[in-house]
Amino acid sequence: MLFSDARLYQILFLSLFLGVGIVARDWSLHPLMIGALIATCCCVQWIAAIQVSAPFIKSLPSALVTSLGLSLLLRADHVGTLMLAGTLAILSKFCLRVQDKHIFNPGNFGIVAVLTLTQDAWVSPGQWGEEGWYVLLFLSAGGLVLGRIGRWDTSVAFLASYAGLEAVRNLWLGWTWDVWAHRMMSGSLLVFALFMITDPRTVPNARIARIIWAGAIALLTFYLRNFWFISTAPFWALFSLAPLTILLDRMFSGDRFIWHQDALELSEVDMTDELLPVP
Amino acid sequence: MKLFRVLLITCFICLTSFFIAAKAWAFCGFYVAKADTKLYNQASQVAIARNGNRTVLTMANDYQGDVKDFAIVIPVPVVLEENQVQISDPKIVERLDAFSAPRLVEYFDPDPCAPIWRTEDRLMAPQAASAERAASRQSNGALGVTVESQFTVGEYDIVILSARESGGLETWLTQNGYRIPQGARQLLQPYIRQRLKFFVAKVNLEVYETSGYQSLRPIQIIYESPRFMLPIRLGMVNAQTAQDLIVYILSPQGQAEVTNYRTVKVPSDAEVPLYVKEEFSDFYKSMFATAYNREGKNVAFVEYAWDMAGCDPCSAEPLTPDELRQAGAFWVTPETPQNVFLTRMHVRYTRDRFPEDLIFQQTNNRESFQGRYILRHPFTGEPTCSAGQDYQRSLPRVFERQAQTLARLTGWEIQEIRERLPQVQSRFIPWWQHFFQAFLGHG
Repeated sequence: MLFSDARLYQILFLSLFLGVGIVARDWSLHPLMIGALIATCCCVQWIAAIQVSAPFIKSLPSALVTSLGLSLLLRADHVGTLMLAGTLAILSKFCLRVQDKHIFNPGNFGIVAVLTLTQDAWVSPGQWGEEGWYVLLFLSAGGLVLGRIGRWDTSVAFLASYAGLEAVRNLWLGWTWDVWAHRMMSGSLLVFALFMITDPRTVPNARIARIIWAGAIALLTFYLRNFWFISTAPFWALFSLAPLTILLDRMFSGDRFIWHQDALELSEVDMTDELLPVP
Repeated sequence: MKLFRVLLITCFICLTSFFIAAKAWAFCGFYVAKADTKLYNQASQVAIARNGNRTVLTMANDYQGDVKDFAIVIPVPVVLEENQVQISDPKIVERLDAFSAPRLVEYFDPDPCAPIWRTEDRLMAPQAASAERAASRQSNGALGVTVESQFTVGEYDIVILSARESGGLETWLTQNGYRIPQGARQLLQPYIRQRLKFFVAKVNLEVYETSGYQSLRPIQIIYESPRFMLPIRLGMVNAQTAQDLIVYILSPQGQAEVTNYRTVKVPSDAEVPLYVKEEFSDFYKSMFATAYNREGKNVAFVEYAWDMAGCDPCSAEPLTPDELRQAGAFWVTPETPQNVFLTRMHVRYTRDRFPEDLIFQQTNNRESFQGRYILRHPFTGEPTCSAGQDYQRSLPRVFERQAQTLARLTGWEIQEIRERLPQVQSRFIPWWQHFFQAFLGHG
């Protein structure tokens, strides 16, 4: 492998998606806004790292992943809203934590916070469309990163549960199967499943706990989407159920994780980083 | 002469004229003609005004068949009572259309040798005008069909039905004289199981004949529901070809978009050759078809998104507060007359590319957008300075660029476009001719 840190792959792929989005998907993305968001996340990370005496460089990739994820998913009329989302996302990693785990997924926290607190932000679930080419791109890139992190079971459990629930609904309603396929091919759903819920510092440590956790998020997503008609259902589901990780980690024991093997000794002081499995 | 001064207002458009010419109307329902007349759904216009969960849906009617055959079935989220259904003035939808239609604007190049004017003078906005555009509960236990309410509004007899299964609903409709298109039964079931109700309307001929109206007026329904969708699947039952749907969404927030398909802006702000003025309708149709094919035939196009408080250029006068209220914007008051953001979406859908009904959301995006195409008339006077000569030399390149833009947007043959470009006579005079003219008296 070219990079020892899987987050570098994440950064590479998220940047690639962002580039594809701007060039080919007709998004209302402004480079200035993306730049401001990335700069905000890095600055807040730097200041917060100083406060807790953690090495900034080691946690920089984490801030980049969060800012790129926000750039991909969140839209706002004003750059200040995006900067607020970035600030809250990074701060949530430092302030809302139990031991070495984040209570909320940082990007998800930033999105939900500005959707709730401001009148300026929105998420466009239809922005990727449903083309097979994008599905393959997301699956292969996501598979590569998740293979490195060892957290692919979370995505598989989420997608399988959600696909199963939608299939049952489709069968019960009597829709043709292209309706189901159309729902499952949504690029936004795949980006969420492969790049958002898999953050190792938010998911439970034990595999069985991860499968239960991802299944619960899929169930809540399904419910919010089909019964409350909320188009941004996955974000609200993840936000609501992310704290379950704390409980599940107490119930099921599992390996702790670091992003790179040589950072094992640093993991005690690195207060901001996501973690990878200790081999 | 001012730089970029606008001298003319262009008025045509209507790309939507080809929708009017469509044979029949329907969007989210299907025809259940009472005679054997073959009816096809091809085009329609819908205005949706929504604030929170409160929705006012206006279905404009370009039905071209015999009114006695007109009958539709549309799934609706709640049972509608008589006071939730009304007839709307057809002019309101025409006004929305005219105000938001893609537009052609003209600019006239100034004399490049004239003195330069201040910036604020140059910013004078071009103006354009758009072209024409613009309860009693009865239960039938055996069939599982309940008549939730039944009333006459304007020229329409309306029945709101709920059903337990599609076979019963089909039987009820058939027994009551409606003709169900083949294949509709399977499509009714998902709506029944989602607990949607069915809005069934036909024309009350007595009322219609005494009303003196020449065409059927739009039906407006008012309801409160978290569902923000248009059930297009039923409308495809008796559709032979791709159907065009224009949706006007009025919101107090900002732009609306489709959440389960991509929402894409229609190509805009393109400078095209002057002759497009004579055939703007063909141009827009070809351009739309090219964009539709390029985007994979499964996107919703935004043709206009703007706060109703203004427009630049205006293709028609903005709607008055009274007109906005008639269009369904119930939150508009005399104190806040302009609190309406209008999004115009154009969806061309077919069964294979649009398996799901359209689901919308309102966003806080207040960015303005319009489909706008620019004609630029060159300055044709004699150049009296070197800047003028440079300007003349640049014209062939400008025309070529316009031709390539047009070819790219429409897929038209570049050679045919080039043949129709204006011919520029170069009036460039070499320096030695000046010399001869000045000193030798001949040129």
